[in-house]
Amino acid sequence: MAEKIGCFLCSGCGIGEKFEMDDVVEAAEELGVSLVETHETLCSKAGLELIQGKIDSDGLDAVVIGACSGRDKTALFQFPNVFVERSNLREGVAWTHDKDDEDDDDEVATQELANDVIRMSIAKAKSAKLPKPQTNEMTDRIVVIGGGPTGISAALSAAEAGKEVVLVEKEDKLGGFANKLFKVFPRDYDIAAYEKIDLDGMIAKIEANDKITVHLSAEIGRIVGAPGKFDVTINKGSDKIEVKADSFVLAAGWKPYDATKLSHLGYGKPNVITNIEFEQMAKEGKISGDLESVVFVQCAGSRDDDHLPYCSNVCCGASLKHVTYLKEMNPEIATYVIYKDIRAPGHYEEVYKKVQKLGTLFVKGEVQDVDEGDEGKLNVMATDALLGEDLFIEADLVVLATGLVPTTLDAELLHLEYRQGPELPQRDYGFPNSHFICFPYETQRTGIYAAGAVRMPMDIAQAIDDGAGAAAKAVQVSELVREGKATHPRVGDFSLPDINFKRCTSCKRCTEECPFGALDEDEKGTPLPNPTRCRRCGTCMGACPERVITFENYSVPMIGNMIKAMEVPDEFEERPRVLVLACENDAIAALDMAAHNGLKLNPYFRVIPLRCLGSMNLVWIADALAKGIDGIMLMGCKFGDDYQCHFVKGSELANVRMTKVQETLDRLMLESERIRFEQIGINDYDKIPAMWEDFAEKLEELGPNPYKE
Amino acid sequence: MPDEPKMPIPELGDAVVESGGSTLYQCMQCGLCVTSCPWRLVEGEISEEFNTRKLQHMGQLGVEGYESDNILYACTTCGICKIRCPREVNPIENIRALRSMLVGEGSVPNAYKPVIGSLSSNGNPWQGDPKTRTDWAKDLDVPEFTEETEYLLFVCCTSCYDARSKKIARAIASILKKGGVSFGIIGNEEKCCGESVRKLGGEETFQELAGHNIELFKSKGVKKIITTSPHCLYTFRYEYPELDGEFEVMHYTQMIEKLIEEGKIKPANDLNKKVIFHDPCYLGRHNEIYTTPRNVLDAIPSLEREEMDRFGKDSICCQGGGGRIWMETNPGERFGDLRINDAVAKSANVVATACPYCTIMLDASNMSVGKEDLEILDIAELIDQSL
Amino acid sequence: MSSHHTSVLVVGGGIAGTTAAVEAAELGHEVYLVEKSPTLGGRVAGMNKYFPKLCPPYCGLEINYRRIKENPKISVFTLSEVKKIEGESGDYTVTVEVKPRYIKEDLTNPIAPFEDLEASLPNEYNYGMDKKKPVQVPHELAFPYLPVVDAAVLENDELRKQVEGLEGVDLSQEAKEMTLKVGSVIWATGWVPYDASKIDYLNYDRYADVVTNVEFERLAAVNGPTKGKLLRPSDGREAKRVAFVQCAGSRDERHLPYCSGICCMASLKQSTYVRDAYEDGEAWIFYIDIRAHRYEHFYRRVQDDEKTHLVKGKPGTIKYDANSGDLIVVSEDMEQNKIIEVPVDMVVLATGMVPETAVHKIPFEGLTYDEFGFLVADPETAAIYPAGCVKRPVDVATSVQDATGAAIKSVRG
Repeated sequence: MAEKIGCFLCSGCGIGEKFEMDDVVEAAEELGVSLVETHETLCSKAGLELIQGKIDSDGLDAVVIGACSGRDKTALFQFPNVFVERSNLREGVAWTHDKDDEDDDDEVATQELANDVIRMSIAKAKSAKLPKPQTNEMTDRIVVIGGGPTGISAALSAAEAGKEVVLVEKEDKLGGFANKLFKVFPRDYDIAAYEKIDLDGMIAKIEANDKITVHLSAEIGRIVGAPGKFDVTINKGSDKIEVKADSFVLAAGWKPYDATKLSHLGYGKPNVITNIEFEQMAKEGKISGDLESVVFVQCAGSRDDDHLPYCSNVCCGASLKHVTYLKEMNPEIATYVIYKDIRAPGHYEEVYKKVQKLGTLFVKGEVQDVDEGDEGKLNVMATDALLGEDLFIEADLVVLATGLVPTTLDAELLHLEYRQGPELPQRDYGFPNSHFICFPYETQRTGIYAAGAVRMPMDIAQAIDDGAGAAAKAVQVSELVREGKATHPRVGDFSLPDINFKRCTSCKRCTEECPFGALDEDEKGTPLPNPTRCRRCGTCMGACPERVITFENYSVPMIGNMIKAMEVPDEFEERPRVLVLACENDAIAALDMAAHNGLKLNPYFRVIPLRCLGSMNLVWIADALAKGIDGIMLMGCKFGDDYQCHFVKGSELANVRMTKVQETLDRLMLESERIRFEQIGINDYDKIPAMWEDFAEKLEELGPNPYKE
Repeated sequence: MPDEPKMPIPELGDAVVESGGSTLYQCMQCGLCVTSCPWRLVEGEISEEFNTRKLQHMGQLGVEGYESDNILYACTTCGICKIRCPREVNPIENIRALRSMLVGEGSVPNAYKPVIGSLSSNGNPWQGDPKTRTDWAKDLDVPEFTEETEYLLFVCCTSCYDARSKKIARAIASILKKGGVSFGIIGNEEKCCGESVRKLGGEETFQELAGHNIELFKSKGVKKIITTSPHCLYTFRYEYPELDGEFEVMHYTQMIEKLIEEGKIKPANDLNKKVIFHDPCYLGRHNEIYTTPRNVLDAIPSLEREEMDRFGKDSICCQGGGGRIWMETNPGERFGDLRINDAVAKSANVVATACPYCTIMLDASNMSVGKEDLEILDIAELIDQSL
Repeated sequence: MSSHHTSVLVVGGGIAGTTAAVEAAELGHEVYLVEKSPTLGGRVAGMNKYFPKLCPPYCGLEINYRRIKENPKISVFTLSEVKKIEGESGDYTVTVEVKPRYIKEDLTNPIAPFEDLEASLPNEYNYGMDKKKPVQVPHELAFPYLPVVDAAVLENDELRKQVEGLEGVDLSQEAKEMTLKVGSVIWATGWVPYDASKIDYLNYDRYADVVTNVEFERLAAVNGPTKGKLLRPSDGREAKRVAFVQCAGSRDERHLPYCSGICCMASLKQSTYVRDAYEDGEAWIFYIDIRAHRYEHFYRRVQDDEKTHLVKGKPGTIKYDANSGDLIVVSEDMEQNKIIEVPVDMVVLATGMVPETAVHKIPFEGLTYDEFGFLVADPETAAIYPAGCVKRPVDVATSVQDATGAAIKSVRG
């Protein structure tokens, strides 16, 4: 705990104009800090020198800087080896509130707010200490699961970045599904140059790289441990190979959708084949140039609620390619492509156009029936939306463009010995859960990154790029964890949860709720921490009913002390007092933006930033109510299918906990409306004033907190 | 009752390509042509039935149902779809190819039978006696083309035989003379340029006409041609070269512009009229001549020039192209009415144009929906008045 | 042998560039991030929401900014442009021009000194749909959060007078050049919207209520010109009925022959703005093919909305009806086998992406661009790594994916 705290108050940027700085100084001094200094521009060279000078001369171990928001001038206010608390007097007080009326002694709201902001910060500093980095020995080895183009790309990328790579492939040769392909897109999108895939070249690069070890006909038997200290068992026949690793790239690829489920499109009848079968036949030279008419049926199983609701992304491109196989053999072959939408994004449009020019007949419609006709022909009945009529096509061959299913859907690939299960948590359709827009490689298992078609349907060119991206994340794990730093999103955070096992009741809440599966359990259900899996969100801390989980610089007592440091008037003589527990990633940024836009906020609200609302411990609500605070607002990220929480489940968990405490409150005849959860996006700053005001009015209706002394 | 399913015959599409519809398969069925098409601006049977996009698709697949006059022969070849098409499809050529396949099989719309017949027997589509081809030039002392003449003035059949249109030919010849241009006409040996008959599918007739003319021009030593119609301009410029007929071709408005620029003629008489210019499709979209006619008009003193709501690249067709000049169009479906309405709305006194077809079509519309004080005049007539 | 540098230069501070920078830095490398405008954020900072989650782009940017703020390995240079690159992989010498911000370094309050200035200059952040002050912080999530004096002030005596004496302003600042030694270069300068006025029949220049998709994004944004209200630029009327015209320039030999890849999803997303803003809102999306290949579920969700109409057809005519003030979109509705005329309040053109490298070539010899101006990645020579939309037209997720891959490629060896 910080013992020598220096409090530095800035009066610049209009801060000094909104309240009496002397009062704030007094409030700080009352809390027993070592020194309080004021300055008109703390961020100036002189201001920074003042702080550093005092740290050196007075041996401070923590500084509270009462100035602008911690989101601003972050790099300036960094002082080695001391705990730095940025107390938000600028955005949080001066820019969002009017000066109190000097002629009215009862008008002291802004002054009280400023005083409380500093009190809470000092309480925080008192309860915190600078975390000591826990460095780790790393293996500098990455295991890549899957030896297709994605895995090969990941392996080469990681090896070239200096890591050892163990590449595990279940088949007896590298190449994965690409082995079955006849030709692929060249990079320049010139279909005249559809080329045979250079798998041999890729494999040769793997073989030539002495940092890469390949295990063929092998699968992961078991993974135990955590980043930097994974113990991996690779099953190769009856052999068990043991390796240690820092991280993984999961590039186990895809499999074609089961065409036997597509009998409505004629599968099972002679000469009705899948695109995969067509590709293989082409590769083996088994497609006859004497065909007269071939029908390609797009979305065979994809974009279909009865089969795969998603678009498999590659089938349009594949059928375009397949047409060229036919037209190269014999331009006279009539080729029909029956489609819903031709999805040829980007440069693929060029391919679409060129394939059109070959005389391909594109029909927007649906196949209604594929039946056996005369002389081995197939009778295809289809709608044609472009014509507004039905078509009857006699075909020699019908090719069903079947889609992609990620191997993660039903295969066991990782065999993680994790309390939360052996595989990556999934989003929809078997693809791993992730922040797929901004941080697409993040999964819920630290150090394990999905790439290629297990991540989403994609073609080879994209998969090769994707392998490199996932490798980057896997390599970062080695670099960050070595220094004891957290990985995304709190990159660089050294703090770690500490569990007081003496008081742990083995209730398993923390092990269940950790969004990243960081905690395992012993037989009794007592948590077994894996620090290098931890992302430092504090969800475990929020979950713990016994409050035994603590970070050096973030803890249940710390926030509790901040709440206790606030001064709450005895009577309900003013407007209701509200505690706001706000997500520091989004809600706090939104509050800053409200300030930058000159919006005015209710001065009776006190904001405490949380790492994530998942770290919200219910005892704080009890603390606040006991303190006489009239209402508590939780400001967290949107949750649900389109969750925005950077720790996946934090805000959702906080909401669940709040609902539970509301039930308790109702039982205690205390109005549950005193606690409110607001889902707020980072750019909802304009809504905050009304959101707060609305809550304040509700609380006024309810009357004062009955626990008020 | 659902119709019987259609059975594609892919060979038909290939035949279209071979007959000149080389961009047929490029069509991606976006439908931009459909709502760019001037038929959308009128209401009626043809507007209901004619769909350029669908016609391309039928051609691609080789399915039946496109053969009727209202569908296959609706296109006026105005070219707005062609210049907009995102895939650079030329629907006009594809439609022309489809028409030529039918005409080749002897299936000619009734309206075109006399036209094709007259072209074969008279060398013009207007049942005109070849011997009277140059009657328009009576009393004008128009020189005959000789080896010493620089320009051949090629007068559109319409202006040779149509009473109204003859005046245009006379005005042009008069201007050329005033400007001291070395020009001449060939006379009765000339035949129709063949542009429109080719568009309506009469490929064989076109080949005959063009072959004849090329032979004739070469034998007379023609190097440079001034056309009175932008249709002739188009075919001389873009189609005759394929048949080994390379000539330097210009539209008469271009020559007038040159004469004005060089100071050889100077429009001097005040016109005191509000003139609105209607861009002929074949002058504008097909030959990309937009500023020339406007420059020429602007040279006339006291002429107030106005633009139609849609002009230049967006100009609306008069409906005379693609053989439609010989087809009956029901009242209410006539594009010319749209132009006249626009001119009336803008209080114009004169609709100026530079194509004999446009003059005929607009005159007809002016009679039904126009105003008495609104005149349809060719640019040449206005210039000649002003000289 | 020439010296070998492990540092990375990232050019472009949009989503691809910031991602490449933080990922490379978190791989342990020194990174220089060079951005030509006064703030990081690029195109995505001008987006209201991302598809398909309908979440605000600021959220992910905020995290990346924090990663930058807290990582001493990253140096950010805004208002900076790469003028010259010489050398080879492992040893590049890069000349960067740093333009003046005309703001003194010791200015602390980025807002107050400029509060009284009149907004008089076109605001490029809102695509010129409103005015900005001659000195201001570019937008709410600007990084760095600093004001900038618009270069126009230097050219205009009136503005100069207004600005000159203000606290923190220093108009005497001059551009500087600096030289960086780096081992590799990631080029992530992104894209520019295609100029909609070139598609003349869509009447973008003629009618104020025909807007582009990037403009519509600003109209929907709370910090946009209408504070997030969907109002018509011409008369401020509520835009309750909105038509989205797909492939405005894309998939068009006369404009952008390629598919811009993102506009279908963008319009599907934007249709939800209309439906969310007005209970009786109605949206039409006119398309050739709906290319929602990554997010079919979102497409389905929009499709299921009864007031959102997906129409297969490419409108050739947009008319104005003077009586009602409506714009009338004329299109084929192929699936209904008819021509429809839809009166709407506003038309949004789904204009596509032009790679920035089609406009400004990279000042380095020997790079290959394709016929559209996209930079071709050359894994063999490893000269300069493209990331994001300079490589191909892609969405945010793919840009991030690409930039992360570029980060590891750039630090190899």
